[in-house]
Amino acid sequence: MASPMKLVTWSLATFHATTFVLAIVLFVYSRDALGGALGGLNTFVGLGLFIALWVTTYLTTSRALDGLDIIGSARARAGYARRAFRWGAVNGMSFLAVLGVVAIGTAVSNTSPGQVGIGILVPALFIAPFALIISAAVGATVGLIFGTIDLGLFALAGLTQDTRDTA
Amino acid sequence: MDLDPHVLHLAIRWLHVAAMATAFGGALTVLALAARPAADSATTVVGVAMRYEWMFWAAAGVLALTGIGNLAAFGAGLAAPATPWGTTLLLKLGSVLALVVVSVPRTLAVARLSVSTEAATSPLATLRDLYGVTAGAFAVILALAIWLAHG
Repeated sequence: MASPMKLVTWSLATFHATTFVLAIVLFVYSRDALGGALGGLNTFVGLGLFIALWVTTYLTTSRALDGLDIIGSARARAGYARRAFRWGAVNGMSFLAVLGVVAIGTAVSNTSPGQVGIGILVPALFIAPFALIISAAVGATVGLIFGTIDLGLFALAGLTQDTRDTA
Repeated sequence: MDLDPHVLHLAIRWLHVAAMATAFGGALTVLALAARPAADSATTVVGVAMRYEWMFWAAAGVLALTGIGNLAAFGAGLAAPATPWGTTLLLKLGSVLALVVVSVPRTLAVARLSVSTEAATSPLATLRDLYGVTAGAFAVILALAIWLAHG
């Protein structure tokens, strides 16, 4: 059987990705704006972006939990929120990179070759540093929120004692 | 070559139903195993629950992915949230969100049981409670989904 911590990583990563997307869908639909938003999105691109978010969230959650025994160690749980903040920022930048590749690829395919440099690549290079900073800030905030929610859910699961550090 | 959008949406709907069947059927299976255990089977049932948790989270991701794909098929024709259909959809989305949130402590509890089944006084009773709630939540979500499909 796979290690319990691998299951914890898989469950938390999927929890973060699905909850993030579901919360946005619920909010946008409650404002009656979901049909228009989804109608303008290519189905393959939409599915691909969700999978990309799932993958980047899994990879960054794995790094955030790397070496931490969330199940047995209270000390590990205490240090988790700080790691969630840091790796949330990395996740934000990683997902932006995926979005950027998709957006630039789509724009290049719809632009005449002579216009690609000045019309797409130069503006993209100018915008990229600012977009990375914003995506890191958003990712870190979302990471901190999820880190805090996770700590509450750890407590709800009865993970309040220390079975390793004092052994 | 362009893919027929009807074929794509049929494939998305198939995946959605298959993921729901896996998640709901798996929860009922673990509940049944925990409710009518054979002698000395607590470790076995916890092992089955551990495997189910891997499948549950894969199914949860696929359900979210394909659920949004199903909504995208409506496009601008998606009913407004103020309509009876829209209110039911909001209720379903809220129920799914709630189930995903409460599933994290369930997974953590099962992972803890797998580390040390003797630490719990009655692991099978714990599993019965956890999977009873999960199966009940799935039954409600399935009822809402059927209402949406035929409403």
